[in-house]
Amino acid sequence: MAILELLEVSKRFGRNRAVDGVSFSVEPGRIFGLLGPNGAGKTTTIRMITYILLPDSGRIMLMGRPVGPEQQQRIGYLPEERGLYRRMRVLEQLVYFGRLKGLSARQAQEAARRWLQRLQAMGWEEKRVEELSKGMQQKVQFIASVLHEPDLLILDEPYTGLDPLNTELLTQVILELKAQGKTILFSTHRMEQVEQLCDDIVLINRGQVVLAGSVREIKARYRKDTIRLEFSGPDGVLDRLPGVQVISRSRHAAELRMLDPALRPQDLLLRLASELEIQRFEILEPSLQQIFIETVSRQIEQGRGA
Amino acid sequence: MNWSKVCVILSREYTVRVRSRGFILSTLLGPVGLILIIALPVLVTLWTRDTSQRRLAVRDETGRIGAGLEARNPERYFVSTDPEAQLRARLLDGQLDGYLLIPADVLQAGRVQLYTRSGGGLALLEEVQRDVSELVRLERLREAGLDTALIARLQERVRLQTHRVTETGVERDRGAALAAVGYVLGFLIYMMMFIYGALVMRGVIEEKANRIIEVLASSARPFEIMMGKVLGIGLVGLTQILIWIVLGWGIVSGLAPLLLAFLPAESGQIAPAAAASTGWELPRIPGGLVLGFVGYFLSGYFLYATLFAAIGSAVDQESDAQQLQWPLTLPIILPMLLITNVMADPDGTLAVILSLVPFFAPILMVVRLAATSVPFWQVGLSALLILLTFLAGVWISARIYRIGILIYGKKPTFREILRWAREG
Repeated sequence: MAILELLEVSKRFGRNRAVDGVSFSVEPGRIFGLLGPNGAGKTTTIRMITYILLPDSGRIMLMGRPVGPEQQQRIGYLPEERGLYRRMRVLEQLVYFGRLKGLSARQAQEAARRWLQRLQAMGWEEKRVEELSKGMQQKVQFIASVLHEPDLLILDEPYTGLDPLNTELLTQVILELKAQGKTILFSTHRMEQVEQLCDDIVLINRGQVVLAGSVREIKARYRKDTIRLEFSGPDGVLDRLPGVQVISRSRHAAELRMLDPALRPQDLLLRLASELEIQRFEILEPSLQQIFIETVSRQIEQGRGA
Repeated sequence: MNWSKVCVILSREYTVRVRSRGFILSTLLGPVGLILIIALPVLVTLWTRDTSQRRLAVRDETGRIGAGLEARNPERYFVSTDPEAQLRARLLDGQLDGYLLIPADVLQAGRVQLYTRSGGGLALLEEVQRDVSELVRLERLREAGLDTALIARLQERVRLQTHRVTETGVERDRGAALAAVGYVLGFLIYMMMFIYGALVMRGVIEEKANRIIEVLASSARPFEIMMGKVLGIGLVGLTQILIWIVLGWGIVSGLAPLLLAFLPAESGQIAPAAAASTGWELPRIPGGLVLGFVGYFLSGYFLYATLFAAIGSAVDQESDAQQLQWPLTLPIILPMLLITNVMADPDGTLAVILSLVPFFAPILMVVRLAATSVPFWQVGLSALLILLTFLAGVWISARIYRIGILIYGKKPTFREILRWAREG
């Protein structure tokens, strides 16, 4: 059974339909990517899931029950923009947020210390937030969202401000949470993170779902038509390939797209091998980035046509 | 409404603020400032009296007034028979502060001459004028043939003593002193409503500007967040006032006897028994007035605080709030301008009506409570009216707040804010 389910959810602000009949469901224990260009309606959707905003129509179910004050307790939310009291001390602040989620002061304090340790942030307890760097604040904010062991964790651009080491650390923590059976709703513009982490995605644009499914299935849906090539020798042959588009090329490498569906990769390889010394010939999966751009721009064109 | 969440929010608001340097400083320095404001005029008069401790030589050509002046205030006047040229030389040498020439025809012409180097100052001139006038009048009456006993009777002043009749009997009225107390209390409530209202507003803006509100709103309902903040900060105000009351009570009950014991000894002439019946008696503030003060502070605070929260929620930064604040600051300032009218006739129709207006009541009712005996039904009616207004205010504010906290960017106009309240 889905842990989170949106059914025909709509929200408008004045004349603007921010979210327009969105439906999707999130399976427990998976990392779910909520994707879309700026202004697509992601934040509004998240705010409705977290019961900050109420939908005009449609239903949002969390663990089989409509979202409300009680369901809010089961959600952890890391908003895109950091929200901490600048003059408060780290531990005090974490305890406050934990208590707001229904923990006792003592539980909150224990959990906060445990998490500070896990995120290699021991010794920050008595620091004021304004003394911390952006990345450090980001860790504190992350702890605030997981302190009460939520069943659903919503992370909106969680890697902002983190250096590569801390990015790696956070990825580990997210995967640990997943291994513990927590469900994670992940919203970001960074497609390589989506490829790395997400099991399922939904892509929304202009308030509507335009693409949904598991990452593997979506990628399979798109044809494998891109080839990465490394070679040496004179590359004149690249200009004389019928049914093939050269996406990019440099002195010893190129990316090709096979436009003719009848053309098989092995035929292409034979043709190339006859004229070039091939060092690498790789059939690429389409990247989510490409799929994202393609889907969204196709929509824009359709929008123009209509 | 989930009270446990409200309590968590409330206790953060309270502890963070009560621990803050601002609170400790204002709690300690507030009374000092207030005392300074009240004591300044007194200090200034004391000061001028001190500097005018100047001696004047009196050259009296009639021989009938100088002695009277010296008898009246020997620290000010002394009779001298030196010729004027010599007096002038001594004045220029600095041996004299001034000299007074009383010509022989003073009873007819009514003119005397005062010579000083600097002009003497208004207080001194008034004093000399009064003293000489009185003595000249006395001499004129004597010249007209009235005997001393009759003159003494004519000079006697009638004293007005005021009494206040209550159910428990007749007591001496200290209306004037209590009216002054009322003014101070009204002023205090005025200051507190402003300071604490602004504190609520700034708190809301801080949470919105730092995007904390997004985290809060994913944990509690906007109404709970707003009420937690308003209650928490109100409790801070109550704490401050209670500290002041305890401090004030301690100082008055601890220091007043000391003050009374020392003052007469210092001034020498006033007997201790007389001191109690003269102006030195500290006005005793009735317990009911203290209760009324605390009650009206709280009701005034709550009346305005949720509205301040609504204004704060509508803007992104403090400077934007300035233009939206006037509908709140106006009804706080207005009663301050009306205080004198209310004090002049605290039982009059105007005063009664003004003090029943919910937005004015916190200040004006306290002034009336101090100055007169306000009938119980008026206090009850004003409490009811304030409660109703408060509920309406909370209802409107909650609707504005709920929308305002999530909207960033352009500063809303009044019309838009009212639309939020309607549609909320």
